[in-house]
Amino acid sequence: MKKHSVLLKEDKCEGCTNCVKNCPTKAIRVHQGKAKIKEDLCIDCAECIRTCEYHAKYTETNKIEEIEEYKFSCALIPPSFYGQFNEKLDINKIYKGLKIAGFSGVFDVAMAAEAISQKTKKFLAENKGPYISSSCPVVVRLIKLIFPELLENLAPIKSPVELMAEKVKREISQKENISKDEIGVFFITPCPAKLTTVENPLGQEKSFLDGAIAVEKIYDTLLDIMDEYDLEKKMDADENNYEDRPYLGISWGQSGGEEEILNDYDEKETISVSDIKEVKGILEEISRDNIRGIKYFELVSCPQGCVGGVLNVNNSYQAKYNIKKLVEKYKNETPDKLMVDQDFSAYNYELSQKFKATDVAKLDEDLDKAMEKLTAIEEEIEILPGLDCAACGAPDCETLAEDIVNGQAKRTDCVFMLRKKVGDLADEMSALAHELPPVMSKENNKESEVEENEIKKDD
Amino acid sequence: MSSKKLIEEEIERRNFKKGGEVSSKLKSLLRKLGIDTQIIRKISIITYELEMNIIIHSDGGKITAIIANNEIKIIADDDGPGIKDVEKALQAGYSTAEDEIRELGFGAGMGLNNVKNYSDQMDIKTSEDEGTTIKAVLNV
Repeated sequence: MKKHSVLLKEDKCEGCTNCVKNCPTKAIRVHQGKAKIKEDLCIDCAECIRTCEYHAKYTETNKIEEIEEYKFSCALIPPSFYGQFNEKLDINKIYKGLKIAGFSGVFDVAMAAEAISQKTKKFLAENKGPYISSSCPVVVRLIKLIFPELLENLAPIKSPVELMAEKVKREISQKENISKDEIGVFFITPCPAKLTTVENPLGQEKSFLDGAIAVEKIYDTLLDIMDEYDLEKKMDADENNYEDRPYLGISWGQSGGEEEILNDYDEKETISVSDIKEVKGILEEISRDNIRGIKYFELVSCPQGCVGGVLNVNNSYQAKYNIKKLVEKYKNETPDKLMVDQDFSAYNYELSQKFKATDVAKLDEDLDKAMEKLTAIEEEIEILPGLDCAACGAPDCETLAEDIVNGQAKRTDCVFMLRKKVGDLADEMSALAHELPPVMSKENNKESEVEENEIKKDD
Repeated sequence: MSSKKLIEEEIERRNFKKGGEVSSKLKSLLRKLGIDTQIIRKISIITYELEMNIIIHSDGGKITAIIANNEIKIIADDDGPGIKDVEKALQAGYSTAEDEIRELGFGAGMGLNNVKNYSDQMDIKTSEDEGTTIKAVLNV
């Protein structure tokens, strides 16, 4: 099963260790001049894609041609997608453009986001908390990997994408009278993490998605289509009258959006945190029970939220602004309406499985052996210089010490240790050079000993 | 089972910035040992409370954590003014923290109560001259 979607273009990697130092789960090492991702530790946060100056890190999403394999293909648009265009663009044009690109149907994840907001509101009223939003797959994987004690605090509700995908598949299958296997549901993804969930879902046995196509790929296709066609003329009368337009749900595309809707629903004990480093910090505080009064945490890995996903085309702040403008525009058009009129009971919110820990931190299955290893690591840390320079290919001395004890690295991978060893060897060679074989030594060895001592003094 | 000292760290008075460092470090060590997640959570909360107690109430002290004989011991040792009324200090919501500290959001009076609730065994030795030693034990 695929564990992550962030990949490396070997020929572009210069072995610089920027990604190694910036990885929040210490999942990358540089060996033989190339970065290697430890698949068990990668949570697809894409920090390495952000920091790599050589663009050696990338992700390979599905190709748009793959939709042709299905009798009925669906495009699911994420809320953040709206941030890629300015508010003057008619959303119906995006819908039409995607249909020309080959999709049989276009659906809006923002609709499911609105449904989740009301579900979350209900859930919070019935449960004590604190709860953490389970919408961002990177946050869920981070908790599984580093904060397993908080798994119970994850809201047991499907993510907006999965919620939408399940509903779309079920309803299209009934409406078109075709089997679910003949329907291909593709998410237009702003991040590699959502791509991974297609094969490796969270809290479910199987994902309801059949693929994920990068926003940048779709954007490119849409631009070509817009160049080629006058979409205004192409649109049918009914498509111009798109009433099921999502509304506040669009604000989920940027950090604070989920919180904003809950606040509108009078659930005010919420906070929103974005950027993986900040998210790690707040999870640490929740874990040590040092947060008071907050009942719900909207946590997203990318800076600014999903608009900050690495597969987007627009600057994340511009995208955030575009979404703000769009929501404002809708609010002005229908001031007394919070959300789209839709049947919230048409969704299946339940997750089929509990979130499980990714237990890879353990040094050994046997506690005594683990304790021995821990002591060995501590001794190794004492020996290493403690500069955390990453020249060995590990992010810091502590990690190198652990790798050495686990047999995955050598002490001489550290340039300072290597230098010291070369120095020691040189000393030893020099001492050896002054030793004489027995046959060459004089009647008694006194003379040579005296000589040797004199040499030592000269040193 | 062999025994091992996991942590021995000095804690400075009123150094709020470093509050939580010992707790985090201990948590990561326990995860490497494969200790049960829920026990780790309890230990992490206990250690944090003990750390903050030293920071808020004492003139500085030390936290030690030892694993031996299927139990983990966390010992907080400080040179402070001692706890005047231990029974009261163990009640939820009771605090002797100064107003300025309470206004900063610390000293809510849950500290010792949390330590008691989350540990399997707890022991307090306190006097005005010799400071306070709190020992919390958890079975693993």
